[in-house]
Amino acid sequence: MTMKITVVNTAAGGSIRMELEPYEKVSDIIDAAADYWGEGAGAFVLRKGPKLLVGSRTVEEVNLSDGDTVEMIPDPEGGR
Amino acid sequence: MDSDRFDRMRRIGWLDMDRISLSRCLVAGAGALGNETVKCMVLAGFRKIDVVDMDRVAGSNLSRCVLFRDGDEGCRKSEVLARRAKDLYPDAEIRPINSKVQDLTEWDYDLVLGCLDNFSARMHVNSHAVYHGLPYVDGATDGMTGKVQVVLPGGPCLQCASNGSHARTADLRFSCTRDSHVFVPRMAAEITTTSVIAAVQVREAEKIASGRTDLCAGGITYYNGEDGTMDTVGLDIDPDCPNHPGDRQ
Repeated sequence: MTMKITVVNTAAGGSIRMELEPYEKVSDIIDAAADYWGEGAGAFVLRKGPKLLVGSRTVEEVNLSDGDTVEMIPDPEGGR
Repeated sequence: MDSDRFDRMRRIGWLDMDRISLSRCLVAGAGALGNETVKCMVLAGFRKIDVVDMDRVAGSNLSRCVLFRDGDEGCRKSEVLARRAKDLYPDAEIRPINSKVQDLTEWDYDLVLGCLDNFSARMHVNSHAVYHGLPYVDGATDGMTGKVQVVLPGGPCLQCASNGSHARTADLRFSCTRDSHVFVPRMAAEITTTSVIAAVQVREAEKIASGRTDLCAGGITYYNGEDGTMDTVGLDIDPDCPNHPGDRQ
């Protein structure tokens, strides 16, 4: 069943609503949101409350449900 | 009492200074995070430290690397770091390894700390640490933000927390290279973020070395220096992660 979630961009601010099917993967959400915000470079993770969502898991497997809000967080790479 | 270098630390009940002193540690990376991490480690009583880095000191390192000095430019980072850290704690045995971490063949350690600057090297260290059953404390920064991930044997690893965006970023680095080295763009970096992340890394290392992994931050700790927040997010093993073949569904 199609569901609607909100993805919040924690770095740039703003949010988008996305329609998802249960079989879609967490990494698909990240790709679509990063594409929407023009965040082509760099890595991101998705967080729902106190948990990071595993990229290879489906929307159904991570128990996302209609009306949920998730946060997209930039994943730092540096250290020099 | 005041002649005992670690008297104040011994007053923290769960810190096991003997075990910390005997822990064989690998620090991967001798840049900004590596400097801060090794500084904290030797001051905290870690004595047996190998530092691996293939790079040389550049002028732009001097704003963040506490153990580098004017005049060190062009010298090997691991050697300068080892020498100056020994000044802080003469009993320390710090061995510089001048190579890429990917060329490291010995993984005879109790603990690994990642102070790297690209995903490819991190994933390499992560997979070796998991394979050898070594605790791995990874740190990363980007300007005013940073994170620390503690990987304990049997628990989720860096690969479990990665997705397609990490793979694409890693590919981008390799596609820009001509000689198999990873191309790392000049990222924003600032010493206070570096200090916070390195301090958290070493505190987690103290817990692991003291045999108190029950105190370790589970998952990934994110730091945002702009709003002054620090938050730890839980993480599960990815059943598709190649580092956890036993967890496949």
